[in-house]
Amino acid sequence: MLPSQRKRKITISSLSFLFGFSFFPRRPLAMDLMHHSSTFLLPTIPSDHRPSLTAAQLRLCADGGANRVYDEMPRLFPQEDASDVRRRYKPDVIKGDMDSIRTEVLDFYTSLGTEIIDKSHDQDTTDLHKCVTYIRDFAPDLDKSNLCILVAGALGGRFDHEMGNLNVLCRFSSLRIVLLSDDSLIHLLPRTHHHEIHILSSIEGPHCGLMPIGMPSSSSTTTGLQWDLNETEMRFGGLISTSNIVTGEKVTVRSDSDLLWTISIKKL
Amino acid sequence: MLPSQRKRKITISSLSFLFGFSFFPRRPLAMDLMHHSSTFLLPTIPSDHRPSLTYALVVLNQNLPRFTPLLWKHAQLRLCADGGANRVYDEMPRLFPQEDASDVRRSRYKPDVIKGDMDSIRTEVLDFYTSLGTEIIDKSHDQDTTDLHKCVTYIRDFAPDLDKSNLCILVAGALGGRFDHEMGNLNVLCRFSSLRIVLLSDDSLIHLLPRTHHHEIHILSSIEGPHCGLMPIGMPSSSSTTTGLQWDLNETEMRFGGLISTSNIVTGEKVTVRSDSDLLWTISIKKL
Repeated sequence: MLPSQRKRKITISSLSFLFGFSFFPRRPLAMDLMHHSSTFLLPTIPSDHRPSLTAAQLRLCADGGANRVYDEMPRLFPQEDASDVRRRYKPDVIKGDMDSIRTEVLDFYTSLGTEIIDKSHDQDTTDLHKCVTYIRDFAPDLDKSNLCILVAGALGGRFDHEMGNLNVLCRFSSLRIVLLSDDSLIHLLPRTHHHEIHILSSIEGPHCGLMPIGMPSSSSTTTGLQWDLNETEMRFGGLISTSNIVTGEKVTVRSDSDLLWTISIKKL
Repeated sequence: MLPSQRKRKITISSLSFLFGFSFFPRRPLAMDLMHHSSTFLLPTIPSDHRPSLTYALVVLNQNLPRFTPLLWKHAQLRLCADGGANRVYDEMPRLFPQEDASDVRRSRYKPDVIKGDMDSIRTEVLDFYTSLGTEIIDKSHDQDTTDLHKCVTYIRDFAPDLDKSNLCILVAGALGGRFDHEMGNLNVLCRFSSLRIVLLSDDSLIHLLPRTHHHEIHILSSIEGPHCGLMPIGMPSSSSTTTGLQWDLNETEMRFGGLISTSNIVTGEKVTVRSDSDLLWTISIKKL
């Protein structure tokens, strides 16, 4: 078979494990499929989801995120000794402009061996941006072929921070990045791919939404939603898909524009 | 003088009161100025800020910002969007723990209207406000628009006895919670771009700066700032220019996927903005 066909076969095999990430450029006859699933919200990732996007192998705090781990992790385990919890939840790296992290928190993690990367001179990028570039460009010992970056605490608080976090999704559109809050998760659906989103109804949904970010979309098509799109135009100032409902186990999306996908996370 | 010059003179006089809102279309030589100020966050609105804006308040189904009683006081019309009524019922008394909850609910914080698709409001809350005379507008058949959208159209098209010539709609609980709700709220700003609508949470306020105007934003540093941001919503901006920010824009291009202005800082009492695209302005609200 032709080399291009051989590559296609490998791609399909990877995808059958639900976590294949295709890097192949758009083909004129068919667009590559990108699969999405929130298995990172399950207590254990099923073993047949190999090669999996395995549970976090690298944990970073973006500046004041270290305060949050220090203060709030022990509160999630009130029966346990706070000191033990903090040692258990030691970040590998703390990176950012260091204008939010408290001194005692910085000292605590430094003494435990956390790598501290001070980028206070760099005011052109957000702390999240700095962490994403670290993961993409520097992190040793991390298998980056099937990488997914999970971002905790991405929503709420100051609105400009939230928009900055959304912009990181757009600026690193070839990376899988998932923004997470208590209520919602968000990730980008790049226009370069068709998308299949596998819904884990025990942990997410049914409320969901699709919105064009940055540019209007002249044509988006979905299946699996209560109000499906059918070559529908979407733009801010006109129609965007919010308060939609997933109707089953799979949602498909294709669009001429990058879209944000969001789904509610169940309160269990 | 020519009729067009006469109108311009009147516009400038209105603007000298800082709150003129010009409806005249864009003129080739100069763009009309639109003034913005967060006086609705002050305990009292200074009397020399006339002609002042008429405020309407919409309460959404999120935790009430701590300054909601202040917004309620300034508003001449108070609506709850569906489950926002639950929030007023439950959370207003908690903001006044020394007072009798019943008094707080009945006399002081009774919404004029509750509108929406009614899938969130609790039955006892609905009954309570119905018995007090609140107008209930059930739009459960309409699944094409959000509850906030329904409330804004009510205010714009129906509300009697409301002076709409200088209207400003304040939306409490607009951020946080489900992300698709938040995006839906932003989209209401864009769909009603000729109305002044301010989205409010405990941490931030947001409003649209339509491309049809130059903008002057008067900063009340006792209650807001210094953190701020400007972002194009829906379309990239090929040219935006500002004054009064630590990192000013100078015919700068902004787009998602490229540069947007976040974590900026206001440096004084006034920020000016002009752009070829509708921008969202956001500024932090101080925790006092």
